Amino acid sequence: MFGRIVAGCLAVVAIELCVVGLRGRSDRADFTYVNPSGIHTLDPARMSWTQDFRVALNIWEGLTTWHPQTTEPIAGAALFPPEISADRLTYRFVLREDARWSNGDRVTSEDFIRGWRRGMEPGTAADYTFLFTDHIAGADAYVRWRRECVSALTTGGDIEAVFDGCAGEMEKRFARVGVRAEDDRTLVVSLTRPCPYFLDLTAFPSFLPCHPSVELLRERHRGTPINAQGLVVYDPQWTKPDYHRSGYPGLTTNGPYCLEEWTFKRRARLTANPHFRDVAKIACKTVDMLEYENVSASLLAYESGRVDLLTDLSVPYDHEIARLARSGERPDFHSCVLLATYFLNFNCTSPTVAGRDNPFVDARVRRAFTLALDRDQIVDKVRRRGDRAAKSFVPPRSIPAYEPPEGLAQNAAEARRLLVEAGFSNGRELPTVELLYVPNDERMCQAMARMWEEALGVRVELRSQESKTFAEEKARQRFMIARGNWYADYNDPTTFLNCLVTDNGNNDSGYTNPRYDELLASANNAEDSAARAALLRRAEAIVVEEDCPILPILHYTETVAIQPYVSGLHANPRLWFPFRHVSVQR
Amino acid sequence: MITRLLRRLITGAATIACVYTLTFVMVVSIPGNPFQTGERNMPPEAEQALRARYHMDNNWLYFWEFLLGAIRLDFGPTFTYNEWTCNQVIAASLPVSVIVGSLAIATALLLGIPLGVLSAIRKGKLTDHLGLILVVLCISIPTFVTGSLLLILFGVYLELAPIGGWGTLSHLPLPVITLSLPFVAYIARLTRMGMLDTLGSEFLRTAYAKGLPQRMVIWKHAFKPAFLPVLSYLGPATAQAVTGSFVVEKLFGIPGIGQHFVNAALNRDPGLMMSTVLVFATLLVAFNIVVDLLYSWVDPRIIEAV
Repeated sequence: MFGRIVAGCLAVVAIELCVVGLRGRSDRADFTYVNPSGIHTLDPARMSWTQDFRVALNIWEGLTTWHPQTTEPIAGAALFPPEISADRLTYRFVLREDARWSNGDRVTSEDFIRGWRRGMEPGTAADYTFLFTDHIAGADAYVRWRRECVSALTTGGDIEAVFDGCAGEMEKRFARVGVRAEDDRTLVVSLTRPCPYFLDLTAFPSFLPCHPSVELLRERHRGTPINAQGLVVYDPQWTKPDYHRSGYPGLTTNGPYCLEEWTFKRRARLTANPHFRDVAKIACKTVDMLEYENVSASLLAYESGRVDLLTDLSVPYDHEIARLARSGERPDFHSCVLLATYFLNFNCTSPTVAGRDNPFVDARVRRAFTLALDRDQIVDKVRRRGDRAAKSFVPPRSIPAYEPPEGLAQNAAEARRLLVEAGFSNGRELPTVELLYVPNDERMCQAMARMWEEALGVRVELRSQESKTFAEEKARQRFMIARGNWYADYNDPTTFLNCLVTDNGNNDSGYTNPRYDELLASANNAEDSAARAALLRRAEAIVVEEDCPILPILHYTETVAIQPYVSGLHANPRLWFPFRHVSVQR
Repeated sequence: MITRLLRRLITGAATIACVYTLTFVMVVSIPGNPFQTGERNMPPEAEQALRARYHMDNNWLYFWEFLLGAIRLDFGPTFTYNEWTCNQVIAASLPVSVIVGSLAIATALLLGIPLGVLSAIRKGKLTDHLGLILVVLCISIPTFVTGSLLLILFGVYLELAPIGGWGTLSHLPLPVITLSLPFVAYIARLTRMGMLDTLGSEFLRTAYAKGLPQRMVIWKHAFKPAFLPVLSYLGPATAQAVTGSFVVEKLFGIPGIGQHFVNAALNRDPGLMMSTVLVFATLLVAFNIVVDLLYSWVDPRIIEAV
């Protein structure tokens, strides 16, 4: 009996060792890095995570791209700079003669229109539709109309007629959007208003081109280019290199690399695109992106030399990592000051939250809570990751020609005076204040609650929700104070300030102030860049010094690890690492 | 025998149906938007259209759509991993967990049974006490501690094993040992208990009286009935081991299915939540049926009694 069990167990062990041994491969790429939480999506129209951007911008190339060190826009698939009209409303991009897809096809202006259109459609686009609707002429009207179509098709009524109307009118409506192919190599873009950062935007993943073969995987209903719900939908597997349904050739890209292999939750291998113009100059012909669920394990792999680049070092002892980077004890650890802010949202609109009066509808209470907080202590004593304490929404010294306002420094006496002015003779008269956050912020939120209790005498209740529930509570404004963060999409203060415009989809505090909206609108139309910066500064002063719908806590600093034998990678605020410039001398 | 098997299959199917219904109710009741990818808010029209596209605007329809798909072994899309279907996620991760889990169970049997038998025949002696200490340590030290210690010792200091990852033989030993230790402990305790019950039996006294050597008495006559409690435990234990361990997978960076149990719930991914639960429930039912069949092989009297 026992002999049979032993024989059975040994047979199982032998078979499985053979399976793993035969299937396993350990060939190492020229360059290896770890993508901490894996690829969420490789669809440029849907992606919103930095780690996905990093892969996308290495396998695709937009009209422009970002400089590896400064992240300023430089020449991409189009000649640089483009021809810009005198009123700065029309950009005429001419594609390079040698711009090619990974299968050798020529990159055309229609390919860019196809990619951009995917970024506007309700079925394919995710977080970044606003980059088109805010900037490209006619895009807002088109997107609104498309959303109305989709809404009409899902709410009932004469579905057939609505569907035919939508499908029949789509091309006519899209023709009014300000992107036009003058010829195969010339793309003309019309803007809604002068946009000083537009060339920065054209390097962003949402503005990448899309190969025509993707159309083979488009869902069609009754021969139309939309599905039964009125959405433009493609088979989501179009981003896989080995997907061949309906004659699809697999993912075709136009960047320095192409995706050779993508194994779920294990790795993605990039190989140099043989048709890329500078392929001869690419030192690392193969790049492996490994997925580790555990950051500590990925750090151990880095320390043992199996990994060349780590972009996430959020281990439990990350304060020590940050210290080693700052002190120079580990020259391979680099601090990157990000263009990103962690802040708290005050609920400015709902008079009651969970049956309690919400005191934050009064700007004086919001200001008092802002003044009561010692943000330096939170950064230096609680988080200890080398971040910068924030008093403004836009990080200082980060955007050229813009310096944010001073903001409110800690002043407990003034905070108490403001509470009295708001009708609360002491903090105990305020209803219990609730702070909503995600579990990762536990220590910081405990520290902030303590500071408010000590400075103002208020009672603070902490409510931790895991991220999905938190997002829903925040979106439905079921909070008094909720954590928030914002990572800049482009190099301009409006990437932050637009979030607080009335009815903006990301205005979680529900803040509204016509004066603020007007200042941002005036800045959008300002001719002179200094005048524009001044208007934006005045607008930001309203939100960080007067109305305080948000309470900026810190501007993020991230530590990355680059092996000393790797050159060509630079710490930068976007964590943008173009692998085509990397060389490895082990 | 066939009637019994059929009865077990029918009750198994009913169990899986109940598990599916309960899971479905929980999945549609919990708050959170499966279509939201980050903290940025989604246009309500797009969300409404996506819900309509996947029939999630009508729970009754969604219940039957998913169930019929599952019967055809098509679990539909995941919303967490845009480019991957639930089938692809399971196909990519379940074999990994099956390999690690079954190796862990095999290791546990190879170590646990001799340890249990040794403890039983040396009851009250030093070997028994040492075995007990070992068992208590294996049960009480959580896998994230043993795994981390093994990782630091063999991965960092001795550099004998890779630091996490998957794909080569060298990636196997540390996670397999970590996962197997609690099973070693339970199997050793159950074997010891079974063996102690059996050692006092009259038929063993007869065997000794006939002059059989102790090795033959223990392994040929006593072990078979003593193994029955272990066999009962093996059904759920194997299902648990081969459907992945979140902790071990996370610690060693193994792309198994265990992480999807947790991540699917955190991401509110309805398809992935229900498909992983269904896979687990099916394996649990299947292993219990296999154990039932093995019972009849080990001791036909049990089946006759039933």
